[in-house]
Amino acid sequence: MANEPTKPSAPDGTTAQYRSQSTPPDSGAVRRVAAFAAGAPFTALVAAVEVAVVTVALGVPRSAAPVAVGLIAFAVYAADHVADAEGDVSSTPSRARIALRYGDQLMTAAAVSYGLAVALAVGAGPAALALALVPGAVWVGYATGRPAAAGDLAAPLGTVSVPRLKDVFLLNSAAVAIAWAVAVVAAPLAFTGVTLEAVGAPTVALLFAYVAVRSFVDVEVPNVRDVAADAARGTATLPVVYGTAGTRRILLGVDAVAAGLLGAVAAIDAVPRPVLAALAAGLAVSVAVTALADRLGGAALGVAPDCSYLVAGAVLLAIGG
Amino acid sequence: MAALSPLSVALLVAVTVGLAAAILAWRERPEPGATWLAVLLAGQVWWATFLVFELEATTLPAKALWYDVQWVGVVAIPVGWLFFALAYTGYDRYVTPFSVALVSVVPAATVAVAAAGDPGNLLAVDRVVRETAVGTFLGVVPGPLYYVIAGYTYLLGAVGSVPLIQLIRDDARPFRGQSAALLVGTAAPWAGNLAHLSGAVPIPGLDPTPLAFAVSGVAYLLALSRFRLLTLAPAPRRRARQLVFEQLHDPVFVVGTEGLLVDLNECAAETFGIDRRDAIGEPAATVVPKYDAIRELDGADADKPRPIPIVGRDGQRPYEATVRDVIDDHDRTTARVITFHDVGVYLGQQQRLNVLNRVFRHDVRTETNLIQGYAEQLRSDPTDERALSVIEESAERMLELSERTRTAGELFDPTEESETAPLTDAVDEAVAEARAVAPDARIEVGQVAPVPVPDVLAVVLGNLCTNAVGHNDAATPWMRIDAAVADGWVEVTVADDGPGIDPAEYDVLDRGTETPLRHGSGIGLWIVKWGVDHLGGRISFDEREPTGTVVTVCVPVDRSETPGAGPDGEPPDPHLDDPAPSDESGSLGPPPNAGR
Repeated sequence: MANEPTKPSAPDGTTAQYRSQSTPPDSGAVRRVAAFAAGAPFTALVAAVEVAVVTVALGVPRSAAPVAVGLIAFAVYAADHVADAEGDVSSTPSRARIALRYGDQLMTAAAVSYGLAVALAVGAGPAALALALVPGAVWVGYATGRPAAAGDLAAPLGTVSVPRLKDVFLLNSAAVAIAWAVAVVAAPLAFTGVTLEAVGAPTVALLFAYVAVRSFVDVEVPNVRDVAADAARGTATLPVVYGTAGTRRILLGVDAVAAGLLGAVAAIDAVPRPVLAALAAGLAVSVAVTALADRLGGAALGVAPDCSYLVAGAVLLAIGG
Repeated sequence: MAALSPLSVALLVAVTVGLAAAILAWRERPEPGATWLAVLLAGQVWWATFLVFELEATTLPAKALWYDVQWVGVVAIPVGWLFFALAYTGYDRYVTPFSVALVSVVPAATVAVAAAGDPGNLLAVDRVVRETAVGTFLGVVPGPLYYVIAGYTYLLGAVGSVPLIQLIRDDARPFRGQSAALLVGTAAPWAGNLAHLSGAVPIPGLDPTPLAFAVSGVAYLLALSRFRLLTLAPAPRRRARQLVFEQLHDPVFVVGTEGLLVDLNECAAETFGIDRRDAIGEPAATVVPKYDAIRELDGADADKPRPIPIVGRDGQRPYEATVRDVIDDHDRTTARVITFHDVGVYLGQQQRLNVLNRVFRHDVRTETNLIQGYAEQLRSDPTDERALSVIEESAERMLELSERTRTAGELFDPTEESETAPLTDAVDEAVAEARAVAPDARIEVGQVAPVPVPDVLAVVLGNLCTNAVGHNDAATPWMRIDAAVADGWVEVTVADDGPGIDPAEYDVLDRGTETPLRHGSGIGLWIVKWGVDHLGGRISFDEREPTGTVVTVCVPVDRSETPGAGPDGEPPDPHLDDPAPSDESGSLGPPPNAGR
């Protein structure tokens, strides 16, 4: 208020507003940058590395696919963080604060990022464009409430309740995992114009299954951190339903399935050996993170599962040349 | 992936900024124009996208296919632009499903022709592949439908630009910036297309319109972020200004230069009981109350408006009328706005302040001097009974004055809800007060209808009746009270055989103000006048033969009704000494009487 008297806040009668600033640099700014980087940019990096690894695994030429998928991941997650900022205050306070304070800037960045991704896809051809437009179409659908409307139409006069996808136990994580797998495996093919037959259907199928299974684990592990908030909201997740110990056992079982898929890939010699080694290293990191799920801090648990792909990428760079 | 042509790379820039702007516009829904801006930008992105596919296609059939697909975006742009401009600038009443469908007929037909493979070469007479340094595109010889849709696009673009151009001249800087950015965003593709149609492009056959979408996208992004387009849209202003006109508590009329009524607000219709649909287009003299008198104000006296009594929903109220010319951009007067402001409350307050000032300055002081003088006399002669009597009488008058002053204050307290009571009760109460003042008086009560009247009328009648018998030098004072009801009006007549009222008292009431030299005695008559004014009625005084006065009060039966709504609602003319002059007659009919 303009007319509100300024109260002295120091013994000398001056106020903070008029005192010379000699304090050290605000460490909060560093924390904010770190919190921002650990959000959508980190997810974008992971997505790009994931696509790069799969590109090598499929043996297709290099393309703009990793960049495009990374940009789309940034756009989707940045927009999601802005949209859910108020609800995320309790679970991810730093990220939520940034989303609330810089919501417009983040949305502008997300829009430009998605526009750039689509432009890259346009340059790559119709198939890449179609793939890049899927997240946008889904976003427009949710923004306009179309899925809910479709659910209302499907429910015969309210006798059957059609629940939202994100509220359905396991289906939520499974849907996210499959979406990731589609984007990560299809993008290298779509951006290079290489057909399924040229790569080999079994190879593509095994890689798709592997990425989907691994993504499922990556989605469910952070739910250990959010168990209290999810239980309070009534959202059924693995940790809410089976507890932390039960979740760990289940996810280790899913990791075992991933190991089996990797074994199958190795058995048919579908991918080069360095890629196999890189994926195995990533899987090992995933198993370790799953085993330590209840001991890792909240912030670490939020990024640790995705770090398995960064490890895989680093290993691939190191041994794959 | 083969290397993209330079033209494709430029188009990808347009795709990037266009799609980003479209997403941000879509996010702003349901702000006015957000959806249509998103449609416009999506059309641009669509056109640029499939032009890239056309450029990168290697065969004529493939290029022709992508060329035809582009038409979806081409035709969406002008439709999106037109409805965005209308919604954004507040003309949203033109954005209806019907208007959208109507405007979309030609675009839909164009897309249908393209989807059908351009039968009859309506869109393109000939198509050839042109290889240039910037890319390989489809060279098209336009068909007749091409020119139709091009003209249609320019038409919609021009129509949509009109309200935006108006905003450039707006006082508000953000709106000027918004509209300038929007017009730049629109003009750039137009310039490109004009260059193409006029053959000014150095690369033959190249339509640079989609390339200019990069400029458009940047301009729209700038408008969305820098000038807060959509979050600070001017659309509500138009509605808000209309709302102010409609919801203003003062009656407003708009009269055209030919003297015909152009518009009136809701308050005018309600206050004066006018049917808006019937009134608009009628001569103002037949609709606007006291129109002739007001026209005279539109001159030298315009700066000194004087209250004009007009009968309306609340009975007769004093209005100050102001006349303002509506001037267009060429300094021409296109209409006049006549505003009526009810100054009854203000005038009443002014009068009460004026009278109470006089009461303290003159009446109380006179009585106090009297008391002081006779008190001195009592000091010198304690047995002086006359001095004692004068002091007692003076103190009694001051007490009475105080009581009446309190009554005047309570009577017009704006926080008090007005209550109603049967007219018979009001008359009985007044008669009882008169009997208390003059127990020996002969009081006759005529026929009184039990209609509801505001309780303020009881105070008015009480003052009139006590005056009739109290200020009466007859041996046995006489008074009679009659009440008639007609057309929603109550006419109460109080007659007495007293000495009559001093004309100076009338004169002061007529003028409405007192001066040190010209003022009334007491405040009884003022209370009567204020009460009648408060009720939207009028009062008149007649001399009675052979002696006495006849006071006639005319007030509405129920204030919630609209007694002045038409000829049937006219109060009866109480045969008074000043019959209604024509210059005081509003379009709603003459007032009951001029009164004094």
